[in-house]
Amino acid sequence: MSSYDLILSRDSYLLAFELRLFWSITFLYGLSFLLFAFHILSRTPVLGKAARTTLILSVIAHTALIVLRTFEGGRAPFQTLYESLSWFAWSASLTFLYVSRKWKDIHIPGVFVTVLAMGACLYALLSRSPAVEPLAPPLQSYWFEWHVILAFFSYAVFVVSASIEATYLGVKPLIGRGAEAYGFSSDMLEDFHSMAFKLVLFGFPLLTFGIFSGAAWANEAWGRYWSWDPKETWSLITWTVFALYLHAKAIPRFKGLPASVINIVGFICMMMTFLGVNWLAKLLGVPSLHIYAV
Amino acid sequence: MRYNSFTEKLKNYFTGLGDRHAGSRRFLCWSYKQLSSITTSVYLLGLMALFFMVGTIFPQGGSIDDYIKEGGGFVFFVKLFGLLDFFSSPLFLILAFIFFLNLAICTYERLLVLQESPTFPKSYEPTHILMLAPDFSNAHSELRNAFAKLKFKVVSKDDDWTVVEKGLPYKWLTWLYHLGIILCFLGFILTYLFSFEGTITLKPREAQTLVPDTTGRIQSLWKDKTGQTDFHLKLDSFHTEYAEAPELDFPKDKLSRLAIGLGWKSPDYEMKGESLTAKDWRAKIKVIKGSGTLAEQTVEINEPLEYGNYTFYLLGFEQNFRLSVEDNPILLEAKEDEDIFIPGLGDSIKFGTFRSGTLYKLDGTIEMLKPYTIVKHTGKDTDEELGRIEPGAIMEIDGVNIKLVEVEESAILSYRYDPGVGILWWGGILVLVAMALRFYGSWYRIAYQVTDTASIELNIMTRGLGSSSTKIIKSLEKHLPITKQS
Repeated sequence: MSSYDLILSRDSYLLAFELRLFWSITFLYGLSFLLFAFHILSRTPVLGKAARTTLILSVIAHTALIVLRTFEGGRAPFQTLYESLSWFAWSASLTFLYVSRKWKDIHIPGVFVTVLAMGACLYALLSRSPAVEPLAPPLQSYWFEWHVILAFFSYAVFVVSASIEATYLGVKPLIGRGAEAYGFSSDMLEDFHSMAFKLVLFGFPLLTFGIFSGAAWANEAWGRYWSWDPKETWSLITWTVFALYLHAKAIPRFKGLPASVINIVGFICMMMTFLGVNWLAKLLGVPSLHIYAV
Repeated sequence: MRYNSFTEKLKNYFTGLGDRHAGSRRFLCWSYKQLSSITTSVYLLGLMALFFMVGTIFPQGGSIDDYIKEGGGFVFFVKLFGLLDFFSSPLFLILAFIFFLNLAICTYERLLVLQESPTFPKSYEPTHILMLAPDFSNAHSELRNAFAKLKFKVVSKDDDWTVVEKGLPYKWLTWLYHLGIILCFLGFILTYLFSFEGTITLKPREAQTLVPDTTGRIQSLWKDKTGQTDFHLKLDSFHTEYAEAPELDFPKDKLSRLAIGLGWKSPDYEMKGESLTAKDWRAKIKVIKGSGTLAEQTVEINEPLEYGNYTFYLLGFEQNFRLSVEDNPILLEAKEDEDIFIPGLGDSIKFGTFRSGTLYKLDGTIEMLKPYTIVKHTGKDTDEELGRIEPGAIMEIDGVNIKLVEVEESAILSYRYDPGVGILWWGGILVLVAMALRFYGSWYRIAYQVTDTASIELNIMTRGLGSSSTKIIKSLEKHLPITKQS
């Protein structure tokens, strides 16, 4: 067997192992989602706890997967959309577990996070190529890691914020009418809801840095810091909507339901920036400079 | 509200002009009042987001004829609002200008507020009450000492309430990042008005002068294009790096992919054909004037050359092949992946990418590639590979001898003049630093009073994610004999 055959069979074996692990993790995210959903339907706290434990297992296994992928590629594991989807699912789940450690009896937001994580993993596994490829020349920049890590960190934070916001909107009418079964009481609901605002406060500078670092990188690689590329424009839309949310929170007239709705719109815009824009670009035939991220 | 100060000035100015301008006076005062409102900011931000969305729905930069030819809808509105160049359309520019005014006026008004001496209420609603040990005396001085140890400073004091503060001045930080956004806006404006760009192809060892065929929007008012530069550019060398990239044999259908997940099938990496991918390309560029070299740099995709108000970026490369057919001294020219008709041959042929440079092999070794290209017969659907040919070598195709005499690799550079970049980066840095300090830092204002019942009433106000009233209470507990808190 030549050295090339050895290398190719080693890489094939590693990829096969990676894919089996990734499928297992997706199954765990799916199981966690089902348990969260059954917890909501049955109002049984133990199902919520089981869902949370399953999610912890998923994240531990997903961490191992990310490490393996980094080892396989010899670079940061978010070059292709396949890798980005995996990173997105992992970072959103990890952020949710970290944020929710303060309210361990509340499980509803988990249903939103796990369905997104499972959906992202399934999309990666069923529709994208898992091939490990050399880093494309435009990505060989010190901005690459910073830009992507911070942008995705902000995405993860916004996912959790939106899940809290949606939970708040759903649970608020149930206070005194069964919300206690989900771990809520009237005196802690607002405190729980304030976490959505704090998360946007945390994510907004990260998104700002993501956009600035992207512009600085584009200026070096493409000779223009801004090209009104669909992905760039949608990132600016997301930034504008979250800026709108932060301003709305400062105005008594808007700080209630309107601000909550704006937060969820911001999350939808973020998903458009990450995934929807690729679909939009294909649908409308709008060329994108971010083709390697498709 | 502070805007009254400015609107008062406006009122006074127009009053001096008489009743004839009363309408203008009212309109200007009303406009200023609206533009200094945060509610207006909310509406404008919402409108900006909607406008940005419009720009992603319609393909930007295309012609209306192409748009109609490709079946684009809403042609009337597309023409009316200039939706194919939306971010330069009057509609968008007017909104952006109003938004800029709102931002600038709010920032100015906030500065006026910040310059005033802070005022404090006479009394506060307690957010926390701390009970002191019954035998504890001298609570006032002990409390003052405790706050001093925690690095709080007294900012206000009356008979009942004392107000102390600690942390980063969040109002100034908020003001600073808004100022940073204004600077970024100014950068955008400079870019919009003055920037221009183009491309230049540098052939090996030939000095070329940059002759822009365009200019910025403002410069175009008095000239069609920017004059040629007084320096020349020379491509000294061009180098490409390749990596061996095996192809992955991986199914496209979803069930087969699931089968891989279940361990019933396996993905396979294979070496197919050339299996080469361009890892990097570099052009060594010299800036020369007369016989002297003014600058010299190896330009890569992420490493542009900056010289004489211009920035030069390596956009790509162009390969030209020179061929002789049957030893004919008249050479034929061909470009990479373009059809060429050879006399005596029925079909056209084409040359693939010319490979030369460094090869990073899969087994970790590095070698210099023996230069070659692949010749193909052009087919209707797919091309038929005829074989490799090296410079100087002859290939016989259907009885015709073709010699690859020479290959010339040129560097394609884009150049750009953009005076907005500098101010944009400074604005960006200001935004990021001030925003990070404001959002992640901490600021406290605590109003306290010691009551007759040996308790301390506290009103704690915090800003920034780094602040925590619980943390402050715990710190106070370390310095004071607190028995209970509520």
